[in-house]
Formats: sequence, structure tokens, C-alpha cells
Amino acid sequence: MTVLAEPQAERTRRTRRSLTFSIGLILVGLHLAVALLTLVWTPYDPTGMAGGRLEAPSWAHPAGTDRLGRDLFTQIMIGSRIALVVGAGAVAIAAAIGVTLGVLAAFATRYLDDALAATFDILIAFPTLLLAMLVVAATGNASLLSAILALGIAISAIVARLTRILVKRVLAMDYITAARTAGSSWPSIVFRHVLPNIWPTLSVNFALQFGLAVIAEASLSYLGLGAPPPNASWGRLLQEAQGTVYTAPFGAVAPGLALVSLVIGMNLLADGLRDIGDPTRRRAR
Amino acid sequence: MSLLVIEGLTLESSGQNLVSNLSLAVGPGARLGLIGESGSGKSLTALAAIGLLPPDISVKGSVRLDGKEVVGAREEELVPLRGAVAATVFQEPLTALDPLMKVGRQVAEPLVRRYRREGRALDRKAVAREVRSLLERVSLPDIDRIMNAYPYEISGGQRQRVAIAMALACRPKLLIADEPTTALDVTTQAEILELLSDLVRENGMALLFISHDLPVVARVVEEVAVLRRGELVEQGPVKTVFSAPSHDYTKTLVSAAAAFDQALEPIR
Repeated sequence: MTVLAEPQAERTRRTRRSLTFSIGLILVGLHLAVALLTLVWTPYDPTGMAGGRLEAPSWAHPAGTDRLGRDLFTQIMIGSRIALVVGAGAVAIAAAIGVTLGVLAAFATRYLDDALAATFDILIAFPTLLLAMLVVAATGNASLLSAILALGIAISAIVARLTRILVKRVLAMDYITAARTAGSSWPSIVFRHVLPNIWPTLSVNFALQFGLAVIAEASLSYLGLGAPPPNASWGRLLQEAQGTVYTAPFGAVAPGLALVSLVIGMNLLADGLRDIGDPTRRRAR
Repeated sequence: MSLLVIEGLTLESSGQNLVSNLSLAVGPGARLGLIGESGSGKSLTALAAIGLLPPDISVKGSVRLDGKEVVGAREEELVPLRGAVAATVFQEPLTALDPLMKVGRQVAEPLVRRYRREGRALDRKAVAREVRSLLERVSLPDIDRIMNAYPYEISGGQRQRVAIAMALACRPKLLIADEPTTALDVTTQAEILELLSDLVRENGMALLFISHDLPVVARVVEEVAVLRRGELVEQGPVKTVFSAPSHDYTKTLVSAAAAFDQALEPIR
């Protein structure tokens, strides 16, 4: 196909999009690299004394030290790993539960569909954090796994609601009727036509929910309901730095920056994903 | 035995009669045109024939496809009939193809299903070869490009050819064409019509051709049924119905078409 000259506005939009996608990729990639690095190497022992108490940032301790003299930068690096594990775990659980329930609701008889839709709506009306706190409380003791499970279940309602709406919209399309007239069975229609067609929108939502899960995990840890020590969650670092925020402000600023950079990175990535999933928006070959 | 037998079909939605007491039959290799204005129940009849009516429409009467009752049948009983006995080409080629699936794969899908049905081994090369020959048979140019193109990358007429290729891939005994040329421009219309009638003759398929356009219907079928507000008002061979219409409604249709032709005459 011959490629006609694109309108200027379209070109600017594309350039801006690919730029945001690149920035998102760099931010998330950085966190991922750091998280992997902590598996084999950290600058200091995360649990041992590395210097004086509440030291200001220096070349030796880029983010300073905490009340017990531990290196904060080391803990923030480990925090990246915790945040990514929780985000990925929670989104995976939410995707498994949410997409399954959403598809079932879209195919259910009217009453069951209404009941499921109402359930999703009610669950969404509760703040994610509150739901997650309930789940953590129900599982008994706070651990990394309970935090992942709690956030995954809380987010699954959002995914289920979105999936249900997307599936219904696709099912009303002519190409579904066309596939049915040609003898496609429902399972094959779901896997060949429905899921691929809702994936672009879903994947964008997953990336956004990933960011949400990271924030929610920090909040849980801040409240003492997240991963217990020695897991250095950013939320717990923030909570520990709270008491000394006037004397050592960098103890709160550094984990905050780490948190914000990962969440913004995920959101920019989500924006870029929209283009990749949709062939009509891809650059013409 | 007829392929499609509709007897006393009545379709109703919220107290309104959409189709009343309709009976018609299409035998093997026969070509029947179903004509009528929009809202006369033509497309609903086509959907009823393959058991794909929207759930809020209540159905009375009987529809038998290749001897099997469709009305009230379960989905599992209908799936093997669709494609194998009857395949459909729709009005709107823009939306009848999956936007995220390459054309080659879309044509391959019903083909693979047919191979399974016939108990043939699934050989990827053989499937690709037949997809290619199907696309050739519907006279698509530049097949290498089109096989790897997404639907938005090809024209409306080309999409309709792809839709026809998909229907052919099923190798059905009956082809249902629901206004297959309405969304196309006049030149493309003529090409698609020619293609359809050639293919139907070559393969000995039966054809149920639905349209509101008299001249179009006359070109491809041998018998017509005229539908008005869900009721069958006249049925017979094309020549008889068009040259000597017996029902007032058919007379209006025919004279309107003739008047339209006359009005165009000076331009031609």
C-alpha cells in the first residue's frame, strides 16, 4: 500500500506518543534492572549498620541513612523489587479472576449477569485500599503474599467490570455474527475473536492497575499491613521516616521519588501500549 | 428434499409481528430471491434460517435446514449446521471482518473447521495453498499483500470478496446473501453480483439472495418471493413476477423500478 503524506497533527501526536512510551519504558526498565540487581548485589547489607544514624546524603550514602544507621539507598533498591513483585502479582491475580468473571458475566443469562454486574459495582464502590485491608485482616497475619492476594482480589472487581463491558461490545459486532454463521463455536469465538479484540484496552488498564497496586502496597506497608521487615517496602520506609522528617527530610523524599517514578513510568507505558495493541494505529508499513 | 424449508414462520417482538406465517423452500441448487422494503423482515428471516435470532424475538413455526429443525434447537445442534449446510455473506463488509485478524487467517479459520469436519489432516501448507486459491477465485489482486493485510488496509469491495471467500471456504450447500452489494458503489456492485452468480453456478450451491433492489435480484436468481411487512405477498419465477405482477405491492415495486430506470435514461 502506498503511504500518503500524514497530516502534521497526526505526526506530532505519534511523535509525542512514542516519546512518552520511551520515557515510561526507561523508568520501568530502570526499576526492573535495580530489582534484578538486588538479587545478587546491594551496596550495603540492608539490615546491618552502614554508617552513623540519620546521615545526610553523601557519596557513600546517596540517600542518607536511617535511625539505625542502615543505608537508605540499599533499602530503596530492595523496595523496587518488592513493588514490582507486588504489582505484577496483584495484576496477574486480578487478570485471572477479573477476565474470567467478566467473560462469564457477559455470557450469563440476564439475571445472573445483572447480579454479577451489581457485585462488581458494589466492590468497586469500596476503595481498593479498604478492600485490601479487609482481605489482609481476614488472612490473619500480614505478609508479602497476603498483600499481593489482597490487592489482586481488590483490583479484580475493576478488571471484571471492564472486561464485561468490553466483551459485550465485541459480541454485538457483525464479525462475531459472521463467525457464528460460519460455524464457530462459542469457546473458539472467545479465544480467537473476543480476547484479541479486548486485549488492547485491557492491557492498558493492566498497566494502570499495576501503578495503582504499587501505591496501594505502599499504603498498606505504611499502615503496617504490608510485607513485614526485613522486606524494605517504600511504604514502610516512608512510615519510619515520618518521625524524623524535620531533622532528616531526605529519608521521606527518597522513597517517595522512587514510588512516583515507577507509577508515572507505568502510566506512560500504558499510554504507549494503546498504540501497540491496535494495528490501525501502528505506523503503516 | 429441500435444503431450507420454512413453514408458518412467525416472529414477534414485544407484541409486534415482524414476520407473519411465512413459508418458503429452497431446493438444492435453486436460487431464490427474497425482496421487500427495509423493515419487511428479510434479514430476520435469514437469521432465523440459521438459528441466530436475537434472544428477545419469539419464534413460532418451523425452519428446517437440511432436514434438521432449527427452531428451538440447542446451540450444540446448530453449530455443526452453520457453515456446513448454510453460510452467510452480510451487507456491511466493513464490520463483518475481525479488525485485528489478518485476512489470510480469517479465511483459514472456516477452512480449518471444514478440514476437521471432513476428517482431513491439518497440513499448514495445504491450508495456506487453499486460502490462496480461494482468494484467487473471488478475483482478488495482489494476493500476497492481501493475505497479510488487516481488513482496514483493503477496500470495501475487496473486503466483500474476502467475506465471500470465507463463505466459500465452508463449502456450504446453501449460500445466504443478505444485501451483499448494498454498501458498495455501482461498479463494484456489478462485479460482486457477477462473481456471486458465477460461483453459485460453478459449485452447484443453492442461493437465498436478499435484497430490496429489483434489478439486482433479477440478475442472480430464477425465482423471487416478495415480502411486505413480514408477509409473503407473491412468489414465482422472476420473469412472471416482474412482467406480470399480480399483487398491488409488487406492481408498485416494479413500476417504481421502471420509472427509476426511465428517469435515468437521458443520462445514459
